[in-house]
Amino acid sequence: MEVTLKVNRYDPASGNKKGELQDYTLEVDDDATVLDAMMQVREDQDSTLAFRGSCRNGFCGDCTMRIGRKTLVACCTQVSEVAKDGEVTVEPIRLINVSKDVALDMEEMVYKKYKAVEPWIEAAEPAPEREHKVPNEVIQDLRKVMSCTMCWLCDEGCTTIVVDRKFVGPAALTKAYRVVADPRDTRTEERLHKLSEKEGMWDCCHCYEASEHCPKGIDPTERIFALRNKAIKVGAGTRGVVGHYKSFAASVKAKGWLDETRLAIDTEGGPLNIKGQLKQLPLAIKAFRRGKVPKPYFLHPKRPGADKIKSIFRIWESKK
Amino acid sequence: MPEHDVLVVGGGYSGMSAAIAAKTAGADAALLSKVYPLRSHSSGSHSGINAALGGGDSWQAHAEDSIKAGDYLADQDAVEILCREGIDDVIRLEHLGVIFSRDEQGSIDLMSFPASSRPRTCYAGDSAGHIILQVLYEQLLRRQVTTYNEWFVTSLLVEDGTCRGVMAQELSSGEVQPIYAKSVVLATGGLGRMYQLNTSAFTATADGVALAYRAGVPLMDMEMVQYHPTTLKGTGMVVTEGARGQGAYLVNNNGDRFMSAYYPETLEMTSRDLTARAVATEIAEGRGTDGCVFLDFQHIAEERLDDLLPETQLLVKRLGGVNLQQELVPVRPAMHRPIGGIQTDVNGATALSGLYAAGESACVGVHGANRLGGNSLLESAVFGRRAGESAAAHAKGASSAKASDALLKDQETRIKEVASRNGGEDTIGSVRRELAKTMHEQVGMYRDAQGLSAALDKVKDLKSRYQRVGIPSADGTYNPSLATLLELGNMLDVAQVIVASALAREESRGAHYRNDFPNRDDANWSRHTVASKGPGGADGPDEPSLDYKPVVITQWSP
Repeated sequence: MEVTLKVNRYDPASGNKKGELQDYTLEVDDDATVLDAMMQVREDQDSTLAFRGSCRNGFCGDCTMRIGRKTLVACCTQVSEVAKDGEVTVEPIRLINVSKDVALDMEEMVYKKYKAVEPWIEAAEPAPEREHKVPNEVIQDLRKVMSCTMCWLCDEGCTTIVVDRKFVGPAALTKAYRVVADPRDTRTEERLHKLSEKEGMWDCCHCYEASEHCPKGIDPTERIFALRNKAIKVGAGTRGVVGHYKSFAASVKAKGWLDETRLAIDTEGGPLNIKGQLKQLPLAIKAFRRGKVPKPYFLHPKRPGADKIKSIFRIWESKK
Repeated sequence: MPEHDVLVVGGGYSGMSAAIAAKTAGADAALLSKVYPLRSHSSGSHSGINAALGGGDSWQAHAEDSIKAGDYLADQDAVEILCREGIDDVIRLEHLGVIFSRDEQGSIDLMSFPASSRPRTCYAGDSAGHIILQVLYEQLLRRQVTTYNEWFVTSLLVEDGTCRGVMAQELSSGEVQPIYAKSVVLATGGLGRMYQLNTSAFTATADGVALAYRAGVPLMDMEMVQYHPTTLKGTGMVVTEGARGQGAYLVNNNGDRFMSAYYPETLEMTSRDLTARAVATEIAEGRGTDGCVFLDFQHIAEERLDDLLPETQLLVKRLGGVNLQQELVPVRPAMHRPIGGIQTDVNGATALSGLYAAGESACVGVHGANRLGGNSLLESAVFGRRAGESAAAHAKGASSAKASDALLKDQETRIKEVASRNGGEDTIGSVRRELAKTMHEQVGMYRDAQGLSAALDKVKDLKSRYQRVGIPSADGTYNPSLATLLELGNMLDVAQVIVASALAREESRGAHYRNDFPNRDDANWSRHTVASKGPGGADGPDEPSLDYKPVVITQWSP
């Protein structure tokens, strides 16, 4: 079949900030993938065309592109699926800087973040004579996480990275989970403290876009939650964040629903943290004027059925 | 100019094994790869890694299986090292962080694999290669090995009979410059791109093999090109032999389990070469559909498939649109892995001082004429490590590696010449596709003198046409032109050696099947093919000259 690829051409040396679409018309096999077609262009029409792609079979993660305005893995996308009126646009994904054409600056946005989580295990020395004994369920969980191909689709979907490019992001945090959840590693607690620093795990805004975008079903958002749970258990996390989480649970347990005023006070370190509370004062006054400050703590009303909710907490706590 | 004790070329399993071993031995080790190491094709190994860890198993039994599968062309001293030392190497992998699947006691579980007499394959679901690659990269970072990511080697720097480093182009800047090293380890992987149907990445273009060959280093057993019996229709993704190990059936378009007609004893657990030819025969005799037979998983319990073949299920669905729990998976044989490569001794040393090789680009002789499934990752572990250790030891005794200005000038001129060729009618693609078609049709699973002679003429013709393929420019940021052109040159040089070696071997053995000589001929052919550029080595004419070397037999006679 004949197809016209409209491919982003961008050369930083040109001085332009943006690329332009260039048309390449070619004859491809009926089952050709977009990656096949791109390679055909490079081999037959324009050897200077820059893009990445390696395994051709969806396991190396190298060829993530925006194809027809959707972010896809090019080797898993057939031309015939995405061609509209015989045309397919191919552009770079948006949240990583472009080095040239469709090739991205992997160093800055990908490997720097990957390396930042120190993604290697450090097992106890000396090593046992044979393998470490590990339950297969733990292995299966780790294997799911390690099936990540670093295609970077989760970061592309991330709504925090859009506003803060320094956020370490779901891909690197998923990799962090791989080492934190590995029972052979000896640095778990230290890692959790480090991952709780600025631009780390607590900057995730739980929009679940990462999980929606992951083509491998790894569920990066849930991995970030799992990291947070572990962090709280070892006392990591900034005080506000931990206070926020604890307050949320405590008010639902006590009253059956959220005590918003208490949540605001606890998030700023509790009623005794005068400095923190003063920060909130202007907002509190505004809210009070509009009648939006419900009574906090013991004054907060219980919702109907609150006792049943409390008993759910009790069952859960007894199981822990 | 950068200078290292050891420079490893190739970022797959063998390369990273070598780099980690060299660094551990105290050398200043660096690793250069034309793609980011995590994109290397080791990731495509869905099977596993063999080690005689099970009760009642022994390295000797493993060696015997390997030698039998290799149709008695394996050097048995090398096989002994592979199977004996491999046990510790696999345990070391686990210590580094590889998450092998476990049994009920939490110990490494072992899987049955075709042509292995016992369950012996350590696996990680169906993504052992992917997981090993990641873990080694993690450890490479931990050990702070210098990496040259996305650099392409244009030639080896050889002077006074010693390898002193490489010339390489940095893709991001487009600059070609020398990287000096007292020892160079080539671990550049396979060559599937020169076959029309293949299981390889785009990157498998015989680079290291061609670099060594052009430097006068002999290649061994290049005629042995392994086909995988079950690759997915379309992209050619390998459907792991672990699938058959787990009980999947091979069926033809009548729904018959046809292996019973060929190998009633071993059925789907028959070795790779024989299974591939049985599949090809079914298709050739009209019992396939659209050039494929089928793998049938439908009788295997869902939980078992989810646990053991999750990646296969996902990729078969993504690439082929098939739900293997409910549908038949169309498969056909495709070129999978060269068994031959740069000739090395058991320490990875080649004939050139300072040059080492390991893994798929090397040939230490452990696979004979047909590689046993699960032995490839093992080879990377054992001989990658050994090559790294020897390279580090060599570097200790070597003086500073530098090349003369004359040699550098010479290399620059060569690149300029390649870059300034006036293009004719041919493109990189037109030449490569013709090569791939020729290799597939005449140098594939079935060969004969007539086809091979025609193929040899064709490759020579393509080589001369290659001289007239032009590129618009070789420099500039992220310009893949030079690398893409040189990759084609690498494939053409190595293809010529494959065809010449195959034409000369007048027998059938393992992966090499000659219609005109259908039997194994131990009296005349119990020997390795050793091909060198020459006569006259690197400076000689552009023709391979063939020599032979007897197979090392220790305790397993044919």
